[in-house]
Amino acid sequence: MVAVVIFGEALTLGLVSGPACMASCGPVLVPSLLTEQTGFRRHLRFLSAFLGARLLGYLAFAAAAWEIGALVSMRPASRMLLMGAVNVLLACVLLWYAYSARQICGSSCSSAKLVNIGTTKDRRVAGAAVLGFLTGFSLCPPFVAAGVRAAELGSVTQALLFFIFFFVGTSVWFVPFIGIGCIARNQAVLTVARMTMTLIALYYLFLGIAMLMGRKAYGF
Amino acid sequence: MASKACTPRLAPATPRSVLRALLLTLPIAVWSLLMLFHPGTPTDAKSRIAEAVTALFMTGLFFMMMRTGKTYRWRRCFFVALGFLFPVGFIYNMVLARGTMGIPIEEMIAGRTPFCFLAIPLLIVPAALTKTLVFPGSIAASRHAIATMVGLWLALTLVLGKGWCAYACFFGGIEEGMAAVPKRAKIRKIDPRWRLVPWAVLLAMVLLSLALFEPAYCMWLCPFKAVTEYVTARNAVGVVQNAIFIVLFAGLVIVLPLLTKKRTQCSFFCPFGAFQSIFNKISIFEVKIDRTRCKSCGVCQNACPNLSLSKESIAQGETLLSCMKCGACVDACPQDAAVWHIKGTEIAWKPERARLMFLYAAWAMAVMFGGSIIAQGLFTILHFLA
Repeated sequence: MVAVVIFGEALTLGLVSGPACMASCGPVLVPSLLTEQTGFRRHLRFLSAFLGARLLGYLAFAAAAWEIGALVSMRPASRMLLMGAVNVLLACVLLWYAYSARQICGSSCSSAKLVNIGTTKDRRVAGAAVLGFLTGFSLCPPFVAAGVRAAELGSVTQALLFFIFFFVGTSVWFVPFIGIGCIARNQAVLTVARMTMTLIALYYLFLGIAMLMGRKAYGF
Repeated sequence: MASKACTPRLAPATPRSVLRALLLTLPIAVWSLLMLFHPGTPTDAKSRIAEAVTALFMTGLFFMMMRTGKTYRWRRCFFVALGFLFPVGFIYNMVLARGTMGIPIEEMIAGRTPFCFLAIPLLIVPAALTKTLVFPGSIAASRHAIATMVGLWLALTLVLGKGWCAYACFFGGIEEGMAAVPKRAKIRKIDPRWRLVPWAVLLAMVLLSLALFEPAYCMWLCPFKAVTEYVTARNAVGVVQNAIFIVLFAGLVIVLPLLTKKRTQCSFFCPFGAFQSIFNKISIFEVKIDRTRCKSCGVCQNACPNLSLSKESIAQGETLLSCMKCGACVDACPQDAAVWHIKGTEIAWKPERARLMFLYAAWAMAVMFGGSIIAQGLFTILHFLA
């Protein structure tokens, strides 16, 4: 009974804080979805890969933080450093993604696969999964709220389960993104999506560098 | 293709008579007096002079539009004056109210910044999802003020579409003035893909505004912060913000217009312009290319300050979605093939009447918004001269 209450709480927390998660993932998700071709199934596949990897990111971070006892008590300076590194990585992946989308959709855009990123053919991974994994590390307020509650639980397994239910709650809010599959695609839409990605990547890059610089950039 | 001999000119070939032009100008003269003079309010002589000069200026320009049958050059006089006088009055008021052009973050949070229409597209999604305005303007204090400003903008936009960008925007005039300086463009070949950048800026800024819960464009990318109110730099991030504003202003508003003779900030960057373009789909006024007259000479394409004509669009007899109805192509076309048009009518159906109907609406808006700004700028100059 206690477990039902706790996981119900996780689900509810996820449901109510979902809009904040949706807003914080929007800058990454919307342009990358727009670089894919039109169609519900394709977007469902993209979103599944993105959310699956995001869950993996959540759990990896939660488990690591639990192990080192820093899930809640992480110092602001350390948190800033971590966030800075994640933002720089995210920016690099977004730029790479925008470049890869050009390679695939440059002329006819007839590829049936999701946009992959990587250096060689056999080492390529779905861009959606990499982006999802990195956004899973984002220490947004709902994530921290879930972390605080999970830290009060007795074991790492319970904490991870709490995060899974929390994740399911937030994921409901991502379903409307499949609707982007309805938007007709042409070269102009793809170009705008890639330009948007580049702009957002530049913003994350700047933000990441500023966070890594910490006191020197912000003066506190 | 019809020869010129059997296709009569659509716009008045010879200037209208002075009397007829005066009669057509009368409604605008009355409107200017109503908008610019406020009887009963205590104002000094400098204000009265500024208001009188502005009313004469706006009415005179409209008269010239009626008399000559040309639109672009007279509209440009108003628009450039608006662009250059806006910062004069704005900075003066800013320094009077705050003692500096810089705005500290506390002032922003307290909502003591003036309302700016550029933030409108950034407000919509956060407001719809959270019922909160992320723009830190003084207008946020009053729901009625928001309703009035946004309502006015919406009403005018529905009628004029992207005409807002050529008759009301107080930012575009500086670059239009710069674009008018050189006789010939140094850069002539411009990749058409640059036209898509404003859409990308719009999408990126809407998404970032939602994610960061702040008006991302105003905080990071607005070139006009360089001549209005900059961020008070208290750390390296603030310095970078101001550096971005200055670089964008220098590049897009000064240097590139001089090199290309185009409104480059509007054409290649402004997210509000992209947003306004959507309303061209609704507005009843548009500019069309009459294919029976067009010789595909490309004069209109070169004349367009906004790159809103392409070979493909001309072949289809249309302007692109980004057309701001400034009239440059209509005035430049040697065949009178570029015409003002009201949707739902035949293409050659009384284009001069369509022009008149559009201009009355557009100039009324110009007097209402731009006129008061010009008067404020003139007042400031008179104040310093006296």
